[in-house]
Amino acid sequence: MSASLLKIDNLRTYFYSRSKRAFIRSVDGVSLAINRGETLGIVGESGCGKSVTALSVMGLITATPGVITGRIDFANGTLHRNLLDGLDQSVRLSEEEGRIMDVVKDSGAWQRQSDRLQRGVRGGEIAMIFQNPKASMNPFEPVGAQIVEAVRLHTEHTGKKEAEQRALHWLERVRIDSPRLRFHNHPYGLSGGMCQRAMIAMALAAEPSLLIADEPTTGLDATIQSKIVDLLAELKAEIGITTLLISHDMGVIGRLADRVAVMYGGRVVEEGGAQQVLAGGEGNHPYTRALIASIPGAAEVRQKSYLQAIEGDVLDTINIPAGCRFYERCNRVTEAVRERCADCEPQLFDAGSGQRVRCWLFAP
Amino acid sequence: MSESLLEVIDLKKHFRQRRGLFANLRGAEGVIPAVDGVSFYLKEQETVGLVGESGCGKTTVGKTILGLTGATSGKVIFAGHEITAMGGEPLRALRSSMQMIFQDLDAGLNPKMRIEQILREALTVHHRPSDAECARRIHELLDQVKLKSNKLSQYPHELSGGEKRRIGLARVLAVGPRFIVADEPTSALDVSIQAQVVNLLRDLQQDLALSFLFISHDLRIVELMSHKVAVMYLGKIVEMGVSERISHRPAHPYTRVLWTSLVEKQNREAQPAAASGAWGVFDFERPSAGCRFAPRCPVYQAAGRPAICTDAASEPPLRELSSGHYCACHFPLS
Repeated sequence: MSASLLKIDNLRTYFYSRSKRAFIRSVDGVSLAINRGETLGIVGESGCGKSVTALSVMGLITATPGVITGRIDFANGTLHRNLLDGLDQSVRLSEEEGRIMDVVKDSGAWQRQSDRLQRGVRGGEIAMIFQNPKASMNPFEPVGAQIVEAVRLHTEHTGKKEAEQRALHWLERVRIDSPRLRFHNHPYGLSGGMCQRAMIAMALAAEPSLLIADEPTTGLDATIQSKIVDLLAELKAEIGITTLLISHDMGVIGRLADRVAVMYGGRVVEEGGAQQVLAGGEGNHPYTRALIASIPGAAEVRQKSYLQAIEGDVLDTINIPAGCRFYERCNRVTEAVRERCADCEPQLFDAGSGQRVRCWLFAP
Repeated sequence: MSESLLEVIDLKKHFRQRRGLFANLRGAEGVIPAVDGVSFYLKEQETVGLVGESGCGKTTVGKTILGLTGATSGKVIFAGHEITAMGGEPLRALRSSMQMIFQDLDAGLNPKMRIEQILREALTVHHRPSDAECARRIHELLDQVKLKSNKLSQYPHELSGGEKRRIGLARVLAVGPRFIVADEPTSALDVSIQAQVVNLLRDLQQDLALSFLFISHDLRIVELMSHKVAVMYLGKIVEMGVSERISHRPAHPYTRVLWTSLVEKQNREAQPAAASGAWGVFDFERPSAGCRFAPRCPVYQAAGRPAICTDAASEPPLRELSSGHYCACHFPLS
């Protein structure tokens, strides 16, 4: 049973910018595997492609002219499917002198194929919690009815009464207060924290085998955040659901994830056990290290010292430099590797005990 | 001891809520006490941090201080002028020495103007400098916020989040303020950029002798930036004091809950739930009688729900516990 539940192989998700006549390479060759029962955390700053990776898995990147290539293999029981199978056939690129001049996409065919691939997977096998719970719920329907819909669509509890019982069970499960009352509330009647709980209930109600949580705590208050993290930790311990957790908050990732992948500029730059990756020491990618150092620690706050900022700005995903993507901002380049860093992008080097780092400093 | 630059005395801001035609005819009108009696002062070159959950009124405090919304009652005295009693031209003139940085990165940047025009507009709004003087100041401002001058010909949408924040800051600095209300200046930014902006704000404070009212929900950033911290809950300050004191030995249960939730979130071994009690919503229109925090308060639960906490006649006042440390609680933690 140790086989991966979801295996992303060399995923590339590009969006085409007509005004710039170039691709915005949001996700540029990401390979990840999520094993059954584990929580994989993806950390990175905004624009690094973590959310787009999740949306690609869910088949939610649709109408915009863009390209998705690679494989996303989902395997559970009798269901084996490559969620990107044959999608590239409905996209045509016209190139002139090595420059992409236009992207023609048969949106209808793309959508049909994508929907066919996602049937029974999206919502049922893979459920997702979004960053903004209020915006992700139907504002015209009571929360309970929305959860009932998920239950009836995706589980064997198709009877109305039975489904309502299940929905209530899940609302209780996520520790929403007075669940019977909330059942009939519309999303606008719930606070942000409660809405997020309802959203988690809705996702779990479909009894998915994989849960994707995209920034589940962002935008909530500090006190509510810690409650939601507590809830996720509790659910993880009790249900043991496989989770892909996406966050820019190192604290949340550190608390919940078993393994962590750090993304920068559309690529995974480091991957390994949560403790090793979040150690932020010598054995880590310079970016991971700088990212962890830039979070104000207890000592820095006490001494009111300067924060260790990462100079420069996040990567421009249109004109990607030839060498290492982090080279411009990296403060750990040594003379021995400088040339390679500037000219040649490193691959993921093995750094021992399952940890892999995309940095020339780790080249054997 | 430098004198106080800003003094806020019993500031109140109540928003009226219309509830439709018939309720209006009956004269029943909802009042939301967003800010309900806030007093504090700020000295020259000092930073006061204002923390609290969303909806506690911290942004409204900032806006009312600057006169962006009128106060319902109370006084705001800035450098000897009573702002709440001012209007028109005198207030406009005073605005050049007090400014606000908004949470929204795009809020102060006209999308149809180039960066140079944006800065020029800010420079000429209070004074009439010559073109050469203007150009010199623009470059000086860019220098101060550590941006390159090639950004001048760009439009706001071409900038990244951190750059927008810097331009927003340059625009505020252009009028030459002494006091800046910084409303969540880092919340829309990534951690690596957040660190840059925090460092920049502290540099500017040193170089330009600025005073800040630093509004944020990020407790660590507030502690790092501020000399004093005021914690707000439902429109009132519940605890105020030197930042080290507030973060390491809080007296108000709410402050402690805020700080522990920050730590708990990261602590793998943390015991979920339990200690913090029920964490329901709070009702703004009808704050509970007595202490507003009582329904969520762990101390109140642990002490067996003492009657004094929910007694309408005895809402705990902000008392001085030790020198410069104020707390509004019947049972302050020691």
